Amino acid sequence: MPSDEEYAQLQKLSDDYQPEATGPLVGERQSSSAITTEYANADLVYRIKTAALPQKYAYFRTCRGDGHCGWRAIAFTYFEALLRAGDVNKFDEELCRLQSMGNLLVVAGFQEDLIEDFRDEALDLLRRLAASERSMDGTSADLLLQTFNDYGASMSIITYFKLLASAWIQSNPDDFVGFLLDCPDIKTYCQQNIEAAGCEIENVSMAALAEVLVKPAGFGLEVLYLDRSPGSEINNTFCIEPTNQDGVPVQNAPILRLLYRPGHYDILYRADDFPSPVPQPPLQVALAGYTDEFVPMSSNLSEVMTMIPGMFPTGLGQRWPSVSYYDSPDPAPQPQIASVPTYVPAPTPAAPVVASHHDFVHSIHPNHVDHHQPPSLHNIQLEPPVTLPIHHAPPPAPPISIERTPSMSIERGGPFRPSMYELEPGFGSGQVHPSPFQTSIFRNSHYNTAHFMNPEFQPEEWSPDSEYATGNRGRHKSTSS
Amino acid sequence: MSTGAKKRIMKEYAECAADTPAGMKIIFDEQNMTKWEVLLDGPDQSIYAGGHFKLEITFPNEYPFKPPVVSFKTKIYHPNVSNDDKGSMCLGLLRPDEWKPPNKVVSVLRLIQTLLIEPDIDDSIEPSIANEYKENRKEFDKNAKDWVKRYAK
Repeated sequence: MPSDEEYAQLQKLSDDYQPEATGPLVGERQSSSAITTEYANADLVYRIKTAALPQKYAYFRTCRGDGHCGWRAIAFTYFEALLRAGDVNKFDEELCRLQSMGNLLVVAGFQEDLIEDFRDEALDLLRRLAASERSMDGTSADLLLQTFNDYGASMSIITYFKLLASAWIQSNPDDFVGFLLDCPDIKTYCQQNIEAAGCEIENVSMAALAEVLVKPAGFGLEVLYLDRSPGSEINNTFCIEPTNQDGVPVQNAPILRLLYRPGHYDILYRADDFPSPVPQPPLQVALAGYTDEFVPMSSNLSEVMTMIPGMFPTGLGQRWPSVSYYDSPDPAPQPQIASVPTYVPAPTPAAPVVASHHDFVHSIHPNHVDHHQPPSLHNIQLEPPVTLPIHHAPPPAPPISIERTPSMSIERGGPFRPSMYELEPGFGSGQVHPSPFQTSIFRNSHYNTAHFMNPEFQPEEWSPDSEYATGNRGRHKSTSS
Repeated sequence: MSTGAKKRIMKEYAECAADTPAGMKIIFDEQNMTKWEVLLDGPDQSIYAGGHFKLEITFPNEYPFKPPVVSFKTKIYHPNVSNDDKGSMCLGLLRPDEWKPPNKVVSVLRLIQTLLIEPDIDDSIEPSIANEYKENRKEFDKNAKDWVKRYAK
């Protein structure tokens, strides 16, 4: 017969026994079908409920069951929700808000020097996440997971949140006093059930934490209870709706979602909590709306120019570095042609050249709605790529006369005799060249010839004559040249 | 041990060194800061007066999220100190389920002093000594003083 002393010893051993909790403090996000598998041999109710789980909640994340999993799950999802909210400024807001709650803790009787280590860990994580988001280095999610898998860091953050919850209850006793079962007073309750290192979250502290941390951040909190209650899916939830400062419900706000199984909390996600990244549209798409911002010449230009014999777009030469930007149906002679306009000596322009330049200016015309070469719109209005200034560097190639086959000029049509100087058919009508440098940065840089700081900047000219050229461009130009 | 825990221990030591409770001396080794040696004089108003007790305070790796461990290296006849080679003291705020991370070592040291003056009989680790304290206080006092003479001089 064991003595009282031995009984006491055994009782103590049994009280002190704690199964060794394993696994990461916070795990990687994984498919929630793993939960279904876990319950494959369990009670029918569990089987049914867990089978329905992945349809609604596609992912989950484990938290180590070391007695802090509920606190840890809320703390982790709070930071994660800040990341998910996709607004870097939200980090600063939360930083300020948490810092401003120092008084709440002091009023509850916590000494500043005792809580600062815990608080600093939480604030530091906010700062680091904000910095990572700002620099868009894509490491913020890893940083969060790493921090929460660091025992000291995650426990500090959890302790800070516990103290916040405790302070909140103590400063709003009326909201909670009715729920404290057989506890003499609020202070004792908080000390024994919240502040003590080993105590798991329960409903009162969870409600307090939601009030002090989750709701003011504009997030919601949802806890799904997976238990044996009858039903075809998880039907027991604790839910706090996301609201704004005025208490008005907010749609689409991040929800911190926990899965509760008796004695343990994990983190749960809906599939749409993590939208798949939208593929970046190709850059030239961004040029589409550019027409109205910068129109030094109309899209009709190329059309008109090809109809004028001996036409060199001298004025444009600097703007059209090379025809080779455009895919041509007849690529072979193109590069040669391209060099022609470029190297016409500027000081001694031939008369037709001047005229053509003039015409070019005249041809400014707002109605490109009716033009029949949609791709050329982009061609003409493309600003030269960044390589443009280098354009002067290559040794000047002499103008090259092009052997034209008669068939080509016939194809081209138009009322004029073919000329060796005219532009290739299809000039300027090629596809938009996917120029990788057409960024807004380049658009605003002085390397852009359309920028007034560029030495080659050619201001737009207005000539009253052009007003008359609209209806009848082709003929008008032919007479002037 | 994490840097946070080290920082915390350093901070607490600085505080203890600046304001050591009366009748106490803390020996701190920076190379092994998780083990503090405390030399404690038996409080004057207690039966342990005149004794000098050596204590060891060990900080777990999880400190301050788990409580420090207190053990008497000097044998002491006390209901709250285990009568074995560990001489462990584990009650009140030192219990893992009652320990709060914002607690400080200094409050642990004060608790020890208070317990020497007045043992906590309801939370004893040595039921036979606690019994004696309750029912035969004279015998308890005699034994305690005897042990002080034998081990703590």
